[in-house]
Amino acid sequence: MLTVGLIVEDPKAKSIHSKLLEINRANKAFFIMNLNSENILKVRALTKSVKLEEKTLDLLQDINLDVNAGDTLAIVGSSGSGKTTLLSILAGLDLPTTGEVYLKKHSLHQCNEEQRSEIRANHVGFIFQQFLLVNSLTALENVMLPAELANMDNAEQLAKDLLTQVDLGDRLDHYPSQLSGGEQQRVGIARAFISKPDILFADEPTGNLDSKTGRHVADLLFDLNKQFGTTLVLVTHDLKLAARCQRQVIMDSGCLAEGKVEDIVEGTVDVIVEGIVEDTVKDQVETPAETLAENPAGTLAGTKVASEG
Amino acid sequence: MAIWVKQSLRLLQHELRRGELTIICLAIVLAVATVFSLSGFSSQIKQSLINNSTSFIAADRILQSSSPIEQSILAHSDKNSLNRAEQIQMSSMVFAGDNMKISEIRVISDSYPLRGELLVRKHSGEAPVVEHAPARGTVWVEPSLLKILNLSLGDKIEVGVSTLVIAGIATQIPDASFSLFTSGPNVIVNIDDIAATELIQPGSRLTYKYLFSGDTSDIEAFEKWVKPQVNESQRWYDIKSRQSPLANALNRAEKYLSLASMLGIVLAAVAVAVASRRYSHRHQPTVAVFKAMGASLKHIRKLYLLHWSLLCLFSISLGLVLGFLLLQAGLFAVSDSLPVDTAEFSFYPFIVAVVTGLICAIAFAVAPIKSLIETSPLAVIRGFSELSSNVGTSNSGTSNSFFSNSLFSNVKAKLKRFGWQQLLPISALFALLIMFSGNVVLSLALLLGGLIVALILLGIGRLFMNAGRSMGSRAGKAWHLAMANLRRRASENSVQLVSFTIAIKLLLLILVMKNSLIDDWQQQLPDNTANRFLVNITEQQVTSVGEFIEENNIQASEFYPVVRGRLSSINDEKLVKQVSKEENKASDNGRRGVGRELNLTWRTTLPDKNIITEGQWWSETLSSDKKTDNDAELSGQVSVEQTLAKRLEIKLGDILIFQIGSETVEVPVTSIREVDWQSLQPNFYMIFNSQVLTDFPATYISSLYVKPDKMLDLQLFLIQYPTISMIDVDAMISQLRSVIDQVSVAIEFILVLVVFAGSLVLVAQVQASMEEREREIAILRTLGAKGSLLRASVLYEFLALGAIAGTMASAAMELAVFVLQTQVFDMQASLHPQYWFLGVFVGAGFVGAIGYISCWRLLNMSSVTLIRRTM
Repeated sequence: MLTVGLIVEDPKAKSIHSKLLEINRANKAFFIMNLNSENILKVRALTKSVKLEEKTLDLLQDINLDVNAGDTLAIVGSSGSGKTTLLSILAGLDLPTTGEVYLKKHSLHQCNEEQRSEIRANHVGFIFQQFLLVNSLTALENVMLPAELANMDNAEQLAKDLLTQVDLGDRLDHYPSQLSGGEQQRVGIARAFISKPDILFADEPTGNLDSKTGRHVADLLFDLNKQFGTTLVLVTHDLKLAARCQRQVIMDSGCLAEGKVEDIVEGTVDVIVEGIVEDTVKDQVETPAETLAENPAGTLAGTKVASEG
Repeated sequence: MAIWVKQSLRLLQHELRRGELTIICLAIVLAVATVFSLSGFSSQIKQSLINNSTSFIAADRILQSSSPIEQSILAHSDKNSLNRAEQIQMSSMVFAGDNMKISEIRVISDSYPLRGELLVRKHSGEAPVVEHAPARGTVWVEPSLLKILNLSLGDKIEVGVSTLVIAGIATQIPDASFSLFTSGPNVIVNIDDIAATELIQPGSRLTYKYLFSGDTSDIEAFEKWVKPQVNESQRWYDIKSRQSPLANALNRAEKYLSLASMLGIVLAAVAVAVASRRYSHRHQPTVAVFKAMGASLKHIRKLYLLHWSLLCLFSISLGLVLGFLLLQAGLFAVSDSLPVDTAEFSFYPFIVAVVTGLICAIAFAVAPIKSLIETSPLAVIRGFSELSSNVGTSNSGTSNSFFSNSLFSNVKAKLKRFGWQQLLPISALFALLIMFSGNVVLSLALLLGGLIVALILLGIGRLFMNAGRSMGSRAGKAWHLAMANLRRRASENSVQLVSFTIAIKLLLLILVMKNSLIDDWQQQLPDNTANRFLVNITEQQVTSVGEFIEENNIQASEFYPVVRGRLSSINDEKLVKQVSKEENKASDNGRRGVGRELNLTWRTTLPDKNIITEGQWWSETLSSDKKTDNDAELSGQVSVEQTLAKRLEIKLGDILIFQIGSETVEVPVTSIREVDWQSLQPNFYMIFNSQVLTDFPATYISSLYVKPDKMLDLQLFLIQYPTISMIDVDAMISQLRSVIDQVSVAIEFILVLVVFAGSLVLVAQVQASMEEREREIAILRTLGAKGSLLRASVLYEFLALGAIAGTMASAAMELAVFVLQTQVFDMQASLHPQYWFLGVFVGAGFVGAIGYISCWRLLNMSSVTLIRRTM
């Protein structure tokens, strides 16, 4: 049974926001220590703010993060916590207001749009919550797209192989509208891996799927990730999915803190957003126990966290 | 093959196959097809009408002169490969034994007529045949001459000093004058016989006519060369130069065709503009995904430039084919009434259509395609609905621009974005209008007027939508939802509303102008239009002719007395030169006269279709000044036709001096009149009050409508009065009717084309809002809204939009029609309330139907499908 410390330990004294800032600062030493071991993504003192008429809204504050090659990292947080904004900056889709972002030695924060496009073509893969397949291209052509943009020679064969691997070998010529949500996301996964990216960003990859299909898609994602040895940065508010990653970080109100799913669930991390756990509880209730037993990696209780920390 | 080429071709191929490019394709196809068929049809019809109408002057162009022209002109016409014929006209007495008759002698060369047909009956009882010139030693005469001189075929007449044999009866002379005051029946003589007749003497009053015909380009080249050489005693003219009902009909028809073409182009351009925005909007997700996957701006730019170019090339080609087919269908449809010379087919419509297609495809698509290419890859994360509000802003590279732009006030952003990309389509439209109209002022007026009206409509539209919402809140659920939708999408709906309004307005405008023109023409030629004129009736004959008319119940005008006189001075200033009436320039030495004797009449009442524009008619003068009849009679007065008054600079109060025979008459101008020269009734430049001319010998004139069954009676009656000439205008009226019918068919066909273009604007505009609607319907479905409620609300929303657009369109149409009627078509302005309702109902029906049909598929989708599609 899930028992959760859902409530902020001392709501009167400190906000979640300031607590996260403290944790973040405490972890800074650790991040710096790990810089030398195959570091693929490095973030330092990143902030993002926008001007709303006369007011300034801080979306991200003093974010520091390191991700090593082969890591699987989950960024969890409730809606509006800033996790998608962070993902867009990490992937080079957007620029920070201040701070530094390095992806494979490329300083993204200093790159213009064209340079970032090139970095994305050569190093980055994406999986989106909305799948975002090109509606007028077939499944095969959608998968070929990143490989073509990266000037790979055997794009078509690779795409066919990958689609076969995600059990869509017989749906090569189907358009997205002829595929179910789960099938579309499998095409999305195949597309993400075709160019053998160094790092893969997944934005709520199962967010638009029912739990069963979501699990199947997640299995595929993690299997392929393992097979390709890709670094995975996953944004989700699904704690079960997050638990399948080696590391989890928590976002709240633009701040980031290292944490573990067990800690979140068991209340040892005293900052938690009700929404995340509510979703998880709901999902747990809906998930048959047998399925959970068969797939311990999918359960919260059995999550094996292998954080470098 | 480069990757971008491959991807571009792949996208294009799939999208064409899947019908995703149908609207934009259709917009360009219809723009090109409309322009191709409109310009092709207009130019062919214009040419054909002119070709057919040139029979009225027997040539394409005529150089008229009071003396023989220089041989170099004729040599130049030969160099231009033109056909030519000569004609000399004069009045002369023709004798047959003791009988004589003043006649109109037409001396013609063998090639006469160049256009139209001269029909001659050579034997009694036989049908007339087409002829050119009589053989030497013979003449052809009009039937009335035989009757007057009691002659028959084979008899001889004396023309000048020659005796010539009557070898035929001319039943149709193509350029028989419209004027009622020709000196007598026509006698056609071969040009080689004229020297022997000795009719041409020094001082003879002769009119030399040099007739030319040929290919349009040849004739225009010659015209360009010869016009500067035409001197004061010469006149160069074509069928449209003459003041006649036909010339007027032709000019109006030509203006209408040009106007319809221009409006068709505006509609087609609007359709392309709307469709290209939709094209941009639909492709934004694809571009964002491509960019997120690492496609560079350069890659996207090349990919979409190729994609757009191929799409345009495909659509323009398809448009040309469709345009050609439409043109052929149109020409086939009117071929019965208007034979078209397809040999004269030119590349003009082809060039104009391609240029229009390219201008539309480039100018109207630059801004949307630029914004498409600049779509931020961030959209893959942020979503497209947020970014779509920022069309035209590239924000991915700047840290704060996305949020700030998406949240700033719309007006400020719109003003900021208004730059060359927005000016380009406006300039392009202006260029297109000039290209079609060849008139900068008219194009500018149309464009600026359109922009101002569009801005006003935007404001009024918002007011209507607000009003609709408060009304909707008191109505049923579906109405309430529909009105709420209208209000919520006020900005987008305002733009949509303006497009609908403009489309409906232009359609109404074309319809109203078409009907107005045709009605106007038909009013001029009602069924009982005068078909005979009786001239040269003496005062003694008036009573008996009047009695005959009354007994036989023939519809006739009153008898107008006619006295021939020459205007010699104005305010003691002698008119020093007397040249043809068409020469309008003032000389340095004084005003020119009319150049011929005028037909002067007198009467007490203002004739029908005459309007006093300055001064007062004498009957009014009488009543206002409370003068007696005698007082009025004592002072002579004259009323002058306004164009002549303008030309001779005659003002109220001026004293005109007329030379009538050996006497002079002085008379003050007391009124200026507008005369409808198109009415087939006797019209006069100068009308006097009865005091002035009654002592001069006068003949009388009257116009009659004679039913076919009374025709023989009239002919028999007139046998006893050989001096009375009867002029048959049946042929002219039927030819005029035929031209009007032809033009009517032509402009109805053009109306259909313009309706096509207008409908496309409506469809494209409805389609543009479809994705937004899809999302809304999905949400409402999810929230449990019943299908019937959604269907009704969508229908009501479009009905309301259409009705509002129709109302505004009716008002805008009236304004435009007023301007056109008064400024362009020279017609009486009038209101058209019957079309107001048509505008509202057709607007509501048309927009409602198109909107509902477009949404039908969405409305009938299951909730699951809808939600999946919108995810």
